Amino acid sequence: MSCEYSRRQFLRHGGGLVAASATGSVILAADQPAPIREYRRGGMLYRQLGDTDLHLSALSFGSHINPALRVAAKSGGTLSEQGQAARDRHISKAIDYGVNMVDTYENAGQWQPLARLVRNQRDRVLVSICRQFPNFVGNNIDDAARLYGHVDLYRIYVGDGERVSDATLEDWDVMRKAKQIGKVRSIGISTHSERMMLSALEDLDGLDYIMFPYNFIHARADYSEFLPAAIKKRVGLIAIKPLAAGSIVKLDPRAPPGSTPENSRIELYQKSNRPLLPAVVRKLTDSVNRSPDESLCQAALRFVYSRPFITSAMPGMFQEHELDDNYAALQNHLRLSGNFQEVLEAARHLCQVRGREWLPPHYRWLDQQWRV
Amino acid sequence: MNVRVSLSVAFSLAVLFSALPIWLPSADHAQTASAEESLAPRETVSETVVANLEQANLEQANLEQAEFKQAGVCSRCHVVSVLEWSLSGHVAAETSCQSCHGESRAHVANERNEIEPDRLPRGDAIAAALCATCHESGCPNTLEMQSCQDCHHVHALIHPSETAVEEDHHLQQLLDRWTEFQRRTARGEELVLEEQWQPARDEFRAATRLVPGNRRAQQRLKMCLRRIHPEMPGFTRFGAEVNQETGLPTKVRVDELEATMLLVPAGECDIGSEQLPDSRPIHTVRVGAFYLGRHEVTQSQWEAIMEANPSVHQGEGFSDADRRPVERVSWDDCQEFLRRLNVRVAGGGFRLPTELEWEYACRGGQTEAHVQFAGTSADASEGSPRWPAASRQSGDLVNHAWSRTNSLRSAEQADESQFLDINAYAPRPVGTLRPNEWGFQDMHGNVAEWCADRFRPYLSAFGDHHALEDGDGVLTGGTVMRVLRGGSYADAGVALDAAYRHATRPQRRLRWNGLRLARNVPVVDLDGPSDPVEDR
Repeated sequence: MSCEYSRRQFLRHGGGLVAASATGSVILAADQPAPIREYRRGGMLYRQLGDTDLHLSALSFGSHINPALRVAAKSGGTLSEQGQAARDRHISKAIDYGVNMVDTYENAGQWQPLARLVRNQRDRVLVSICRQFPNFVGNNIDDAARLYGHVDLYRIYVGDGERVSDATLEDWDVMRKAKQIGKVRSIGISTHSERMMLSALEDLDGLDYIMFPYNFIHARADYSEFLPAAIKKRVGLIAIKPLAAGSIVKLDPRAPPGSTPENSRIELYQKSNRPLLPAVVRKLTDSVNRSPDESLCQAALRFVYSRPFITSAMPGMFQEHELDDNYAALQNHLRLSGNFQEVLEAARHLCQVRGREWLPPHYRWLDQQWRV
Repeated sequence: MNVRVSLSVAFSLAVLFSALPIWLPSADHAQTASAEESLAPRETVSETVVANLEQANLEQANLEQAEFKQAGVCSRCHVVSVLEWSLSGHVAAETSCQSCHGESRAHVANERNEIEPDRLPRGDAIAAALCATCHESGCPNTLEMQSCQDCHHVHALIHPSETAVEEDHHLQQLLDRWTEFQRRTARGEELVLEEQWQPARDEFRAATRLVPGNRRAQQRLKMCLRRIHPEMPGFTRFGAEVNQETGLPTKVRVDELEATMLLVPAGECDIGSEQLPDSRPIHTVRVGAFYLGRHEVTQSQWEAIMEANPSVHQGEGFSDADRRPVERVSWDDCQEFLRRLNVRVAGGGFRLPTELEWEYACRGGQTEAHVQFAGTSADASEGSPRWPAASRQSGDLVNHAWSRTNSLRSAEQADESQFLDINAYAPRPVGTLRPNEWGFQDMHGNVAEWCADRFRPYLSAFGDHHALEDGDGVLTGGTVMRVLRGGSYADAGVALDAAYRHATRPQRRLRWNGLRLARNVPVVDLDGPSDPVEDR
């Protein structure tokens, strides 16, 4: 008798075999159920992160802190007491909505506040951490693991060059060890360069996920080379800047006052209140007005959510209504109506004709990356 | 359960059961013989067998284990077959269970015995497919290509003229052989104590001819031959100490490198860890004697062979760089280094250790797998439920290993900067911390050490471990990753564990990866008085 069922497989599917042995039969590997890739609980959608055992909420909470409430600190900046209270409130509300991934960055002074918030609910919250440059990755992971018990997602920013550097390979070696030991559950990178992403897929063994900018506007949203390769390798994909660093918020003529994430200075209307591109703006406004219950941001997020290969989107959220707005995009369906296809087309056109100014000043360099 | 006890019991059972086919009448006999007749010979033989075996077990415990160890995992169930095989001429022909039955990995892994071995040759098939590979002209008696099992026992032990039903003649013959074997080996040991190497050699040689597969007798014979011919090409003896078991010097020097290598005695130990996913399961391995570098290869040694130094930690700020371990070398670079070294040094034979050899040497004679850091008083304590192993404190590991906890280039750096980058840490000159029980230094930390093996899960390699004798343990067929062991100055905690396995691509050059030299012990020709021949 020949049998392809190895001991490893036996252990992996031990439950089925134990049950089978009770009835005197042997179950071979053929009928193994496919792993669950996506499910809904409450109003939240959860997707499997690549090949890991993590399921992330489609909406996740980013690490950026509101610059308007920032105060100087030794670590590089943190929030005022009032700002911290607001952020804690937002995160708690997000967790109640079903958001299970919270990203944090040591330099933003959010390690301790987040640890305090999630200490008693680590089974509900996945902590995502980005390496604090230039701190040695090993130290950074150890510090985080001591604080949080373990880190669910750990990543390094690998720059926006062409190829993974030797320094990154060394950092990656340390990250793989941390994952082997169990301090970290998944390891990944963040970058804005498609070339770098392709290099990472090739050079970084055990890559679990990539965080990369993905939204409907920019010129290379299709990532024609990278996306098929990443999907084939079952690497998890997390979209950052799904609202184009807040630019999309400001494209919405109905955006409520104060919707200025990422200290964006981009204006739909000039100071004189004259439309920059009257025809395009009129079209955009008309389209948005035809769907009074939905915002342009929701449409933009739905565009991202509707891509099944994107595990999660991480928009910046400084205001409570932004969290509500982003969450609402997940409530009904992920398909985009014909009207909103037009909205997005109009917004895309508006951005493209305005050149690099469609991004806030501190992200304009990205436009060059995206247009390469 | 204690391995020695279990194997002794197994041996007893083996001989008892091996005798069973002789005591029991054949099927035809059973129909005609009375119950009294069939029981009579059983009692007589049982008494003989038990009496002889008790004595044999007590006096020659090590001898009896040898066959079962050689058979490896197969001996755990197939006691009778292993014994038959060990007493037959097939051992001398260097056959193994796998020779006839294939690797049979699925069979080994299937504890409920639902999966048969890869091959179970029966009848005419065995003659054509297997026996004929050695017995090319067919049966030596009939000169025909017929089924060997028609006349011989399944494992070809019993002579055709001595059929199984001819009472206990065959068993008595076996026991006589054992008795003579024991007498020869005992006499040999007496001569060894008197340091009469040549007479001792003759006794052990005679013993190995009586029981060709007995590994213990072979080892003693090798020891005598090494005592008679102590020359070792490429090595300079360093000190007078000689290992009593192998006859090999415990400490030697490679003059071309000014490197010291220490003898790792043959033995077995438990390796692996249940707390590290890639190190499961804990399992027992047997490793043959080999030489291993006392220290990691230094920058000056590398430069002497390769005429270049790829290390990061050299030049300004590293005045003692020549004594620091070479780093930023890939596995492929190591192979080139070894190739050049083997050309330059008489006898050659230098290589990377296998990871099993490495762990065995690292544990320094501590045979239990729970020992994490050999040579230290390191202790285990509870940590996070998710990474219990990672949070274990390492006791006095700081006295044995350069790790992230003690390899800061200057203490001021820790105070001045909130964030420390990797340049704040550096490997240290080799041999500056305490050695482990066998004298090896920097096994934990300093630089991670490349091993010869490809990385693959232990489970799939399980059936191969018995093949590690004489350092022939390079596992093949796994992934392209090559194994690294011991952790480095940039690691902390469990990454320095003796059982911790890491792997990376063989082309990758990282600033914390180095190497340590290994070399096989010279092999000796057991059949002739010739000088030892270096195994390349």
